[in-house]
Amino acid sequence: MKKQYAFFIDVERCIGCFTCAMACKNQYHQPKTVVWRQVYPLDEEIYPHTERAFYSLACNHCENPACLNVCPVKAYYKREDGIVVHEQEKCIGCGNCIRSCPYGAPRYNPEVKKAEKCSFCWQRIDAGLKPQCVQSCPVEALQIVDLSTFDRTGVVQYPPGFPQQPKLNPSVRFALPRLPRVIGGKDI
Amino acid sequence: MNKANNAHEAQAGICPLTRRKFVKGLLAAGLLSNLPCGLLRPMLSEANEIVYEGNYEIFRNACPRNCYDTCSIKTFVQDGVVKFIEGATESTFTRGGLCVKGYGYTRRPYSPDRIKYPMVQEGRGSGNWKRVSWDEAMTRIAKKILEIQDKDGTLLGMALSKYSGNFGITNYGVEGMMSSLGYTTRLTGTPCWPAGIDAQNFDLGDMWCNDPEDMVNARYVILWGGNAAWNSVHTVKYVYEAQRRGAKIVVIDPLLTQMAAKADEYWQIKTSTDGALALGMARHILDKNLYDRDWVKANSIGFEEFAEYLRNNITVDWAAKESGIPAANIIALAEEFAAAKPATIWIGYGMQRHVNGGASVRAIDALVAMTGNVGKIGGGARYGHLRTWGFNYHALLQKQPEGAKGVPGKSEVKGDFHFAGGDETSDISYSDRSLNINKTAQVILDTNDPPIRMLWVACKNPFSQDFDRNKMVKAFNKLEMVVTVDQFFNETVAMSDIVLPVTTLFEEWTINASYWHYWLSINERAIKPMYETKSDIQIAATLSKKINELRPGSCTFPTKIDSKEWMAKEFNQGIYDLFGINSWEDLKKGPVKAKMHQAAWHDLKFGTPSEKYEFKSELAEKWGNKALPEYVAPRPKNDKYRLLTPHTKFGLHSQFVNLDWSEEFNPEPFVYIHPELAAEKNIEDGNTVRVFNSIGEVITKAKISTVVPADAILMYEAWFKNNPYNVQNVVDDTSSDMGAYKTGQPGVAIHDQFADVAKV
Repeated sequence: MKKQYAFFIDVERCIGCFTCAMACKNQYHQPKTVVWRQVYPLDEEIYPHTERAFYSLACNHCENPACLNVCPVKAYYKREDGIVVHEQEKCIGCGNCIRSCPYGAPRYNPEVKKAEKCSFCWQRIDAGLKPQCVQSCPVEALQIVDLSTFDRTGVVQYPPGFPQQPKLNPSVRFALPRLPRVIGGKDI
Repeated sequence: MNKANNAHEAQAGICPLTRRKFVKGLLAAGLLSNLPCGLLRPMLSEANEIVYEGNYEIFRNACPRNCYDTCSIKTFVQDGVVKFIEGATESTFTRGGLCVKGYGYTRRPYSPDRIKYPMVQEGRGSGNWKRVSWDEAMTRIAKKILEIQDKDGTLLGMALSKYSGNFGITNYGVEGMMSSLGYTTRLTGTPCWPAGIDAQNFDLGDMWCNDPEDMVNARYVILWGGNAAWNSVHTVKYVYEAQRRGAKIVVIDPLLTQMAAKADEYWQIKTSTDGALALGMARHILDKNLYDRDWVKANSIGFEEFAEYLRNNITVDWAAKESGIPAANIIALAEEFAAAKPATIWIGYGMQRHVNGGASVRAIDALVAMTGNVGKIGGGARYGHLRTWGFNYHALLQKQPEGAKGVPGKSEVKGDFHFAGGDETSDISYSDRSLNINKTAQVILDTNDPPIRMLWVACKNPFSQDFDRNKMVKAFNKLEMVVTVDQFFNETVAMSDIVLPVTTLFEEWTINASYWHYWLSINERAIKPMYETKSDIQIAATLSKKINELRPGSCTFPTKIDSKEWMAKEFNQGIYDLFGINSWEDLKKGPVKAKMHQAAWHDLKFGTPSEKYEFKSELAEKWGNKALPEYVAPRPKNDKYRLLTPHTKFGLHSQFVNLDWSEEFNPEPFVYIHPELAAEKNIEDGNTVRVFNSIGEVITKAKISTVVPADAILMYEAWFKNNPYNVQNVVDDTSSDMGAYKTGQPGVAIHDQFADVAKV
């Protein structure tokens, strides 16, 4: 398998603190409504305690990216390490990628009237650093891995609620949350 | 995903994507007001190349907020502008990361909402603000101070409301400024942690906690009444590591907090019955002879009396009834805790914000001590410490002008960060007038001869953090002048006459230590102060210059100071030795950690009068408490449901939530209610509801949630700009049981509040 960088989201460790999302904003200063990484609380049907388990999601840097395939001006390219890069200067703001990505990764920037998305901080990667979101995580719940060598057991590509898109093959892996044993209160 | 959010997406010209229904809160803000915050956006697309090291000037900063983590920050500056920040990788505590609040700092100096100039408001609350020069602002203030002096013959009519908005060491220059003007009125004490401080002082002789990084060594961890996952995010990894090494993690809390969700066991205790649970466990440990007889014999006094108290007054069944935790579980937990060596309890500040909070902390301390876990690596009754705070307090310790008069007699002004007395050699016997910060509104209303005529507010937001907001309005109406030093037009600023713009962390020198971890950071001036902002000590110097112009000799504060020099003056050899550095300049290379033993009380030489652990404390009795860690009953209910108003993960008191970057992820406040209570009140998710009691009301949207017990109402304390939401409308100023001994004033029972709720 070729090198493919991916985000590993350890939902068991994640405390939903939004640090990753704000760290991204701190690096790229996206205007309002343009969010490259968002932290989503899980529905009670997936995790019973409200806003106590989360998926931190950004672009999944798919093996076969929908955004790249539908872009009429080739504003997207995939690097050898698997990172999907959007070149905003080529973008004409047509919105094809925004409509096509089943994960909602590309966003419309109303100021520049163009799309944009998580870059995996490729410039930081090239400088030997971790993406800002990964470096920021206080509990190491968000990590970068190379799928060609990632051999952790007990991980899933499609946790409950995360859309299954085998054709795209999103470069993301999850470890699932656990429930505490609840004693006392009304729940016993 | 709800319909409202879809509608917003449609408005934005983005196809509403049903595939995203798996998650809530996508585009949670739903706000499409496009503030021009692209101003500072890196020119990504044009340059298409960012070099992360080399192209930036890197400065050392530190988060100055009242927080366990007190993170060391690396600030990347280009052309005099903060481009982005990271955690300092040198610190093994923060490991290169900050928190959701901290990463918003990049925005703070450049926020369009920032107070940029001194301003004067014609008519408090009117919003009729007018920009004035520093000279005019200072003239108005100085004239008022001199008028008070002339009218009363003292400056006791000038009061200071300051607490933890900026914990930089040089920010104690605000207190220094007050002293340099004369003897004034001080709102003293702390709303934060005083009951627990007294409790630990009675039991151990000081507040001193193990290194949080040592938590990995624990074989059993109880997090009791604190939500580390929101309030000390960097400690959570040590809890996880302890768990990975085999420790059991138990969280005890009335709320199913984020930390509770990460525990092996979560105990939903009835609020304010923590002491009963701890004593029930202690009784069982005693009965089963599971306590550490040797440790108790060698290192403590009063254990026999404590044991006698337990035998005569406490049973496991009683504890079960009080706390709502089944007896079988209490027994199991007690046995597991006693058997695990070492075992530790992290005592959160939330659980001592009760009328019995200090007594509860003492009961928990006793549990840790009787099992021989005090003074052990991986053990300890962890609460906080001030062992790394031995600075000179040069900015703080200023002399009163010659001839100044105050309250007759010499007395110390105490506080949680009380380190040094006044001028011991002075033969003039006057003091400041100390009033209880936790009853700020009441004492302003009650105090006369002379009344408080002028209030100086710095590093504090009384309308957001102090209690009984409606009473605060009345109190402010009694004041002749209010001067507030702040960064944003918050609720206190709205009720002020003059606002002075203060620097952010990036714009001034200071030093920051933690009351939890053992690291020390310098805070450099990374950028020039924006607009006309000044730091607290520069404001003091500016005021001193003006008032001395008007009346020479009326203020001893230097009229011109070098902030960097003043920061340097705070260091001493003791600090250098403790941290193993030769000069403060070494801190420019990154934060350093104190060379301290990782276990507090490792030498078992306690700071108590007996130099032993005191299960029975005469000092506690002297300060109006029981000598033994006896159970104190909770505050009687005075309304239908308990009201809990803890911190939000997005902010710290009134800081952070107002920033536009934060609004992106946390746009509006909610009141959280249990499905059973919601059904009873016919409230549905998203309904606007009214939370009310005898002192006021809060109107906001409801969220139905099982994280809150069915008999409680939960609202997170925060200030949202342009939103009147304020939990202090319904939180009164009832005192907690301890705090007066070490912090000068009793604490406040923030979580002993009650209210009703109804659909609007």
